[in-house]
Amino acid sequence: MSAPPIAHKDPKMPPPIALPEGADWAGALGVFSPGVAETLLVAARTLYPHDGLPERVYRRVVAHLDRMAAASPLAAQGFAEFVDLLDGAFPLPFIELSEGFRVQVLKRVEASAPFRLVQRSTVRFLYDDIEVWEAFGYEGAAVHLGGYVNRGFDDLDWLPEPPAPAV
Amino acid sequence: MARYELDDDGVVVIIGSGAGGGTLANELAQRGVEVVLLEAGKHLTAEDFVNDEWGGYEMLSWLDKRTASGSWRVAKDHPTAPSWHCKVVGGTSVHWSACCYRFIEDDFRARTVYGDIPGTTLIDWPLTLAEIEPWYDRAEAKMGVTGTNGLPPLPPNNNYKVMRAGAAALGLTVSTGRHAINSIPYDGRPATIQDGFTITGDKVGSRWSTLNVEIPRGLATGKLELRPESRAVRIEHDAAGKASAVVYVDAAGVTHRQKARAVVLAGNCVETPRLLLHSASARFPNGLANGWGHVGRHYLRHIVQTVWSLFDKPVNMHRGELMAGLVTDYVRHDPSRGFAGGYLIELNSMGLPTTAAFLDPGWWGRDFVSVIEQYRNMAGIFMTGEDMPQADNRVTLTDELDAYGVPVANIHYDDHPNDLKMRSHGYKSLTAIHKAAGAKRSIEAPSYPASHNLGSCRMAQRAEDGVVDGYGRAFEVPNLFIADGSNFASGGAANPTLTIVALAMRQAEFMAEQMAAGAL
Ligand SMILES: Cc1cc2nc3c(=O)[nH]c(=O)nc-3n(C[C@H](O)[C@H](O)[C@H](O)COP(=O)(O)OP(=O)(O)OC[C@H]3O[C@@H](n4cnc5c(N)ncnc54)[C@H](O)[C@@H]3O)c2cc1C
Repeated sequence: MSAPPIAHKDPKMPPPIALPEGADWAGALGVFSPGVAETLLVAARTLYPHDGLPERVYRRVVAHLDRMAAASPLAAQGFAEFVDLLDGAFPLPFIELSEGFRVQVLKRVEASAPFRLVQRSTVRFLYDDIEVWEAFGYEGAAVHLGGYVNRGFDDLDWLPEPPAPAV
Repeated sequence: MARYELDDDGVVVIIGSGAGGGTLANELAQRGVEVVLLEAGKHLTAEDFVNDEWGGYEMLSWLDKRTASGSWRVAKDHPTAPSWHCKVVGGTSVHWSACCYRFIEDDFRARTVYGDIPGTTLIDWPLTLAEIEPWYDRAEAKMGVTGTNGLPPLPPNNNYKVMRAGAAALGLTVSTGRHAINSIPYDGRPATIQDGFTITGDKVGSRWSTLNVEIPRGLATGKLELRPESRAVRIEHDAAGKASAVVYVDAAGVTHRQKARAVVLAGNCVETPRLLLHSASARFPNGLANGWGHVGRHYLRHIVQTVWSLFDKPVNMHRGELMAGLVTDYVRHDPSRGFAGGYLIELNSMGLPTTAAFLDPGWWGRDFVSVIEQYRNMAGIFMTGEDMPQADNRVTLTDELDAYGVPVANIHYDDHPNDLKMRSHGYKSLTAIHKAAGAKRSIEAPSYPASHNLGSCRMAQRAEDGVVDGYGRAFEVPNLFIADGSNFASGGAANPTLTIVALAMRQAEFMAEQMAAGAL
């Protein structure tokens, strides 16, 4: 049996975006074409290459970008420009490049507004994913579980115990 | 709750229900003064709050566009959101981490103690520590500050154990510090359950805020009317040059004009000067209360920065109250360090979502990933120190209008050489503490959007040096007051809110006395 999960989302927050497991996952998106979705996926993975994280985590990031694009024409334009920048930078489409070349391409466009939009948005959604929390040890919402007062807020035991604070 | 007519010119109108405005509203109502409290944000309850960093941020924050310019790193990292505060009933007191430290005597005499530092516009405060001390006493009792009034300090948490081990090894003075967070039940509010989510509203209610303490008590007097989702857009004056009404827009987009006996601005340090500048008239062409040109100038944001370090073993810094740690050794002005002013070292903790976002906002690639993957083993340590006032570090109006027709504010900030010297010194001190506790690697995170916003409508002894006097009363408009951190004459080192609250309490007594004497 696997250990119970450590990470918790606040019960009032929406559940993670559900996407198909298979190769046609991008078909579930609202705005992005499969080509755009794959490019953004590879870009997210190149920007934040956590080898231990499954593909679905990065797919959910792209699904969030898709929602941003659906809600804001300005964001949609930014993502489109980003994909054009990446694909125009090399004689091969971005998703076919080796990691080293992908990093070079991203470095080349780092100062641009579309890069900034994608990079910031990727951080925003990737590290807000409960599966990522679980992987890196962030436990998240606590009040509905009684806080951490009886769940280890002071359980660090590899340094000397501080003296009890004076009143 | 009281209800007042729009043409009732006997009411005091307060704009902003945060630490300053919410406290003042209650203190005035307790003294029988009739108050209308206008707040741009919604009236939320503990039920509404979530334990979620981004969910809370989006629910509580002031997200209206601003712009930024100047050499500060914030202009590059957060160009449309350079200042961080809330838009909600209770203001940023619904979000703050509740560190409560008094200013020290020298903080009130910055110009005298530091001397003439080129490029700065330092002045002394129009009041002394001795004058504000009784108000600090009352503010601490009101807020239930730990380590005062017989209230025990917060217990050591994991992140504190790291700070303590390092600081003790270096011979520094370290404690869990003082917070307006209940360590034991106090004033009808429970003790903390160490959930680590004061910043998204504090569902438990163990932390003082104007939302959970001041405003309900003010409402209970029958003298205070709270109007949430009411956005002030202009302050009007009469033929005598006194403030006479506040124009505001309600949730339905309808514009109203509330008459006033006196007007108090408490919209935090960007909105307050923005409203004054926007309220220009034929009589006051440069904006209200701006006869000497100081409205918006001398903007301060403290030397606020964090070092995040990686250790071999788990820390789990997110468990428990976020900032329960304090080192006081650097708070005094010590010219031998090569810069003026001092700083406090405190604990800092963030969840994974915001740690990733603020560690170094443009950082990506395998090195970043190798750091953030060790979130479990990460500890945070923070400083707040005094930055230097400069005339051109200022809030101004741009040509772009917001949805209410009010010009978007720009914040310009250039780092003063003294600021940079303190930053460097501070990073070294923070890193040294973590190293002494066994850190493998330390990351000097840049400042996040300004959280300690101060000084942009400062108080001064002489009218030509500032906007308001020592009671926060505008030199130029005798029934106009400022009750937020923009009235600070200089920044001091400590987190500002205890001082904002103490000043608002003192101001309430002054205003009530003036009214009783027929002078206001
Ligand atoms: C992350 C973070 C952590 C912090 N932690 C600490 C801490 O530990 N200790 C400490 O001392 N300080 C802390 N602070 C700072 C503290 O929150 C502020 O100093 C304090 O809340 C400022 O009080 P204020 O009254 O000036 O403004 P606020 O509390 O920000 O209130 C201003 C209110 O005015 C309203 N308003 C503005 N314009 C209008 C308008 N035109 N019409 C109607 N309403 C308007 C806003 O919506 C807001 O509700 C922290 C801040 C942040 C961002």
